[in-house]
Amino acid sequence: MASALQDVAWEQCLLEPRSDRAVESYARRKQGLPQPMISYFAPVPWLARALVDLHCEYGLLMHLDQAVADLVVLVVSQENSCRYCYAGVRALLWFQGMSRTRIQGMEQDFARAGLSPRTMAGIAFARSQSRSGPPSARAAREALQRAGYGAEEMREIAFVAAQTDFSNRAHTIAAIPSRPVEQVTEQLYMRLLRPLLGRIVKKHRYRGHPTPLGPVPSYPYAHVVNAYAGSPIAPALGRTLEEMWASPLLTRRCKLLMLAVVARGLACDVCARDVGKALRDEGFKEATLIQVLTHLDAPELDPVERLLVPFARETIWYEPAVIQRRARAIRDGLDSAQLLEAIGVAALANGLCRMGAMVMDSA
Amino acid sequence: MSDGGHGDGFRVTTVVFTAALLALLALVGGALYRQRRLNESLRAQLEAAEADLQHLQEACSRLAPAGVVQRLVADTAPGTAPAAERKVVTALFADLVGYTALSERLEPVVLARVLNGYFQRMSDAIHEHRGHVSTFLGDGILAYFGALQPNPWQCNDAVCAALAMREAIREYNAELSRERLPPLAVGIGIHRGPGLAGLIGSRERMEYGFVGRTVNLAARVQALTRTHKVDILVTEALRAELDTRFLLEPMPPEPVKGIAEPVVTYAVRESTAGALKPEAS
Repeated sequence: MASALQDVAWEQCLLEPRSDRAVESYARRKQGLPQPMISYFAPVPWLARALVDLHCEYGLLMHLDQAVADLVVLVVSQENSCRYCYAGVRALLWFQGMSRTRIQGMEQDFARAGLSPRTMAGIAFARSQSRSGPPSARAAREALQRAGYGAEEMREIAFVAAQTDFSNRAHTIAAIPSRPVEQVTEQLYMRLLRPLLGRIVKKHRYRGHPTPLGPVPSYPYAHVVNAYAGSPIAPALGRTLEEMWASPLLTRRCKLLMLAVVARGLACDVCARDVGKALRDEGFKEATLIQVLTHLDAPELDPVERLLVPFARETIWYEPAVIQRRARAIRDGLDSAQLLEAIGVAALANGLCRMGAMVMDSA
Repeated sequence: MSDGGHGDGFRVTTVVFTAALLALLALVGGALYRQRRLNESLRAQLEAAEADLQHLQEACSRLAPAGVVQRLVADTAPGTAPAAERKVVTALFADLVGYTALSERLEPVVLARVLNGYFQRMSDAIHEHRGHVSTFLGDGILAYFGALQPNPWQCNDAVCAALAMREAIREYNAELSRERLPPLAVGIGIHRGPGLAGLIGSRERMEYGFVGRTVNLAARVQALTRTHKVDILVTEALRAELDTRFLLEPMPPEPVKGIAEPVVTYAVRESTAGALKPEAS
């Protein structure tokens, strides 16, 4: 089953896998199957857990049709040229009984409007959120409303697209090897095991239930979490953010600066305000922030920040091989866990900012 | 006897039934086999058509930015173009100095080879700094920064691209000199301003472009590189947004065609990475 992305240039992986039984068994328990790629992310526990916890098929969606969510993941991964995630979602559909011809036909339908107008509107919104970010969110939201989506469904589509943007960047920037996943449907033993694997996958997928958020969080980007109050998305996202802020590998200021750069690059005013306030609370001068956001540098930045501020900008729009080479270029100035955390922060910032305008505007 | 008669009749019935069943199975099997062959043939045709479409899309990407081609394929109804958008964009206009004299000195085949090498190197420098080449106009190149996606750093990107173009020309001239070919010199004008970005043209032929005063002014500023005898000039509007690490030299204001006031420009000398000064509060 040749994939549309198999010809996309993909560099050698930047990371060494590190076996971590706790993380691996957590992923296996949650998703039913071993997740070999999780070992690449194990050195940064919050990132490894986020890649498992924020998966939309495991109890996070209450309103959006799972079939639409699957298509959104496929389309956004295609949009971001993420070979790993694209092959992953194709394999998942195949395990669940969809024939290779049907998957190929579905991919062709994206371009040929062979799907229902409602589904097409959902896909168009996800593509627009991923491609253009907040500036087009309002128009895209109106189109979704016209197609008959309710407010909760719209928020869930925004989340699925944002989660895919996050996951795509984490896998693409690190150049996680995609060949093994791309070849899954070709392997004889996988074809023999397919019915069994399909049952396992189906058994572990489940719909979400109303979940209380608990105490209102106060960390930066908490309002994105609040916008999902009552949905299981809120605690999953909240835990990811809390753990990301608590992780000591990069300083809180460095992470905030990376988020600020992504917010500016995507023209997300609400996110920029939120991060700007957090930076001022950290004692960061307004003039320095302006200088950083205008020139992607300032004398007040430490060496790690001077590497990661321009790098954050590179992650907004990219070609896989180019961003993979840029990430390799900054590797000398960081230890491997710091590099991985930087990839995670940039990936999360891109997802949150793209979703932020839509969610916060409508909340 | 009657039992034997019944037995024979039963055997005959069984044989006939079995034969009929086998014939039916053979027919069904044959039909399934034909259907499978037909499916395989259709799948092969579908894959061939998909490969053709992919090649066509790749070919189209040379005529318009890949993102625009994808949008045309995915988002728009057949025969329509995506709506143009109002944007603030940085336009970079580059032109070869002394092209006419060069074209008279060189054989057309050699000239074409030299020009292709020049266009490739310039396009690579522009692309490397997140710009996209809109069109080649004779020996000129028109490129935009921030037209396809929002880019608040478009001014820095455009000037970095111009500096990379300067370096690429220097390296290319070394290659040309080894082949005993004359060196090339380029003039680059950069301006930032509002306009309308999108697919522009007739029903038969369209190209991704940008309409507005910004492009004209970039072209006029490029022409001023001859007057001021420099290779890269930027306008006041661009300088205001530019990183302080770029070393700029103010040029005397010059009148240009179609603009009422004399145009203030700055020559770009170089970039001094790592020499940022704290900004005044």
